[in-house]
Amino acid sequence: MDLKFMEVSQAFDRFKVAFSRKDFDTCRNLLSQLKVSLTTFTSLPPLLEETPNAIRELTLARDIYEHAVFLSVKTEDQESFERDFSQLKPYYTDVSNRIPPSSQMNPILGLNLLRLLVQNRIAEFHTELELLPSDAFKNLCIKHAVELEQSFMEGAYNRVLNARQTVPHETYSYFMDLLAKTVRDEIAGCSEKAYESLSVKDTRQMLMFSSDKELEEYIREERPEWEIKGGVVFFLRTKESIPCKEIPSLQLINQTLSYARELERIV
Amino acid sequence: MEKVRHFSVLGDPCQNLQSPNQILTKMTQDIEMKEQLVAHSDSISSVSPSTLQHLMDIYGLIEIGAYAREVRRIVRAIRWTIQLRKKLSATVISSFLDFALVPGSEIHSRLSSYLPKATNPGDKHDMEVDTATSAIQTPAKISPEIEIYCYLLVLIFLIDEKKYNEAKACSTASIARMKSFNRRTVDILASRLYFYYSLSYELTGHLAEIRGNLLMLHRTATLRHDELGQETLLNLLLRNYLHYNLYDQAEKLRSRAPRFEAHSNQQFCRYLFYLGKIRTIQLEYTDAKESLLQAARKAPMSALGFRVQCTKWAVIVRLLLGEIPERTVFMQKGMEKTLHPYFELTNAVRIGDLELFKAVADKFSDTFSADRTNNLIIRLRHNVIRTGLRNISISYSRISLADIARKLRLDSSNPVADAESIVAKAIRDGAVDATLDHANGWMVSKETGDIYSTTEPQIAFNSRIAFCLNMHNEAVRALRFPPNSHKEKESAEKRRERQQQEQELAKHIAEEDEDDF
Repeated sequence: MDLKFMEVSQAFDRFKVAFSRKDFDTCRNLLSQLKVSLTTFTSLPPLLEETPNAIRELTLARDIYEHAVFLSVKTEDQESFERDFSQLKPYYTDVSNRIPPSSQMNPILGLNLLRLLVQNRIAEFHTELELLPSDAFKNLCIKHAVELEQSFMEGAYNRVLNARQTVPHETYSYFMDLLAKTVRDEIAGCSEKAYESLSVKDTRQMLMFSSDKELEEYIREERPEWEIKGGVVFFLRTKESIPCKEIPSLQLINQTLSYARELERIV
Repeated sequence: MEKVRHFSVLGDPCQNLQSPNQILTKMTQDIEMKEQLVAHSDSISSVSPSTLQHLMDIYGLIEIGAYAREVRRIVRAIRWTIQLRKKLSATVISSFLDFALVPGSEIHSRLSSYLPKATNPGDKHDMEVDTATSAIQTPAKISPEIEIYCYLLVLIFLIDEKKYNEAKACSTASIARMKSFNRRTVDILASRLYFYYSLSYELTGHLAEIRGNLLMLHRTATLRHDELGQETLLNLLLRNYLHYNLYDQAEKLRSRAPRFEAHSNQQFCRYLFYLGKIRTIQLEYTDAKESLLQAARKAPMSALGFRVQCTKWAVIVRLLLGEIPERTVFMQKGMEKTLHPYFELTNAVRIGDLELFKAVADKFSDTFSADRTNNLIIRLRHNVIRTGLRNISISYSRISLADIARKLRLDSSNPVADAESIVAKAIRDGAVDATLDHANGWMVSKETGDIYSTTEPQIAFNSRIAFCLNMHNEAVRALRFPPNSHKEKESAEKRRERQQQEQELAKHIAEEDEDDF
């Protein structure tokens, strides 16, 4: 067992070296090798046997998975992030009382929350929140994610965009960029309902474009119904105020039929 | 059935009896009881002998039920036991165990070891009674129902005495014993046993240990089509998961478990409550509100604590949906004090004042964390802002964004820009009917048109009608009719009557005909 452990630790050291050099291909290969060799240890979940080496093996396995998570962020691979994170979770929950807590735990949890927010899986976001102990909310990384979600829900998008500057961890920047894109779409959607028209300068400022050209491209691709006339962007008002003299006959027929049916049932 | 004992025919466990010896005499039973009532107007005998008597009545009832495979009797036996709960004491139980189980058998010794030794001087009277009862013949073979019943009795007693560790040991032993039985009559007792098993572990804080066991028991219950057991176990499992905040797993279990018509009202209420909690966390507020309100309605009036919990969650869900619960909700009997924090919270949301909301949330933060509703309260902040905005847009036809920010008391570095984006989102979500003017920096509210000229009233009426009709259908379905056995007997009698009448009528007609002739 010890021999295997030594091998794995050495491979892991090589992985760390490659990671710091930003050599992601070597990292990925080494990682798959490491994962395979990890399956030989029986002290890891789901088996969780009590071998004499258990503590060290568990700690090592957890470190490997944490690095895997960071790697997937650097390579911008959301699926592998999800996979690695779900493999990492049992280490935080089930064996947390056996091995010393990891310093990377809170940043990684925050990263996961951010990912769920970006992918708009708000229900899972809240479910994950419930699992966190109450003192975790004081931690900076997690607080950041929670406040972000709040601002997003309220609609204070400028706060979201400003938070980009105050990331607690450098790995957050990838998700923040994705978030910025989502936010931009949201702002555009809100603006077209809220404003009748807006000057080009203001629109550009709100949508966080750096030049007019980008704005025009964006409008052409995503929002064809907007018109630019003389330095002012006109949002096409959807004809919501149709006097609508027609009666929704089908709906009324359905309703009346159901009433008749139910009344007949009353004995 | 060769039973020497004659269990009380009158069936009323509340009468006072002198000594259990008398139950041996079949003939004089009723007469003697009446004599006792006359002679001893106030009970000289302590409560314990009659408790023992009741336990033996229950024993007899279970025996009959087991023999005749009638589940109803076992249910009645359990009901009597619950009534007796407060009067149980260690000596009573040990004497009952002596009576029901063969002394010296493995079960007897195990169960007796859980009971504390009786040191009560007031129980001396029982000692005499004990010697009397030991003269009674005990049955040679012990039916499984009696065994499980004894376990149940000891377990209830231990939990009431707050001896949780012994209760834990006892319940584990009983579950191990129970797996070998597969009878419908045992199932009722079994479901009670599961409940106390889970309770004893919860009270000692080791709820996570039994999760695997509960899952296995649930599988077995499903295989045997034991619906009451399935229901109970599902609820216990959900409670287990929710205790540790594992909402994801709870939902996965709930969505995959087989569903059927509820057998027990209490289990159904519990199920609705857990379902409501899961839905709330998953942001499906409409479903959650329905489940929670239904659970609060269906719960029996005596279950005050349960109804308070349901009401608390229902209040929060309604706030999250944007509707304000009425004051009467908080003024229900017995709930006023516990619901007070939620009342203040509702007030803050109704006014739409963020600072007041924050003050209330901080003031009662311990209550909220004890109720585990802390995260939900955080979500309410968004609603407070919305309500505030809505109030503003209704009252003003035109208001500047800086004023909005000041009124909403948004504490941020750039209030105007924040307010602008918040208002824009509110407009898009349809909460506020207005337009923004960026150049001048103000919000212009739209004219509210005449609602009656649209189909809005029809839609509102339709939803109310559907609700009433639904309620009516559910009530009809919940009606209970008397069991069929009575019907058959009656129809036999009625048939005879009818035949008699027909005969008379025929005779009458024949006589008339004769007269006519």
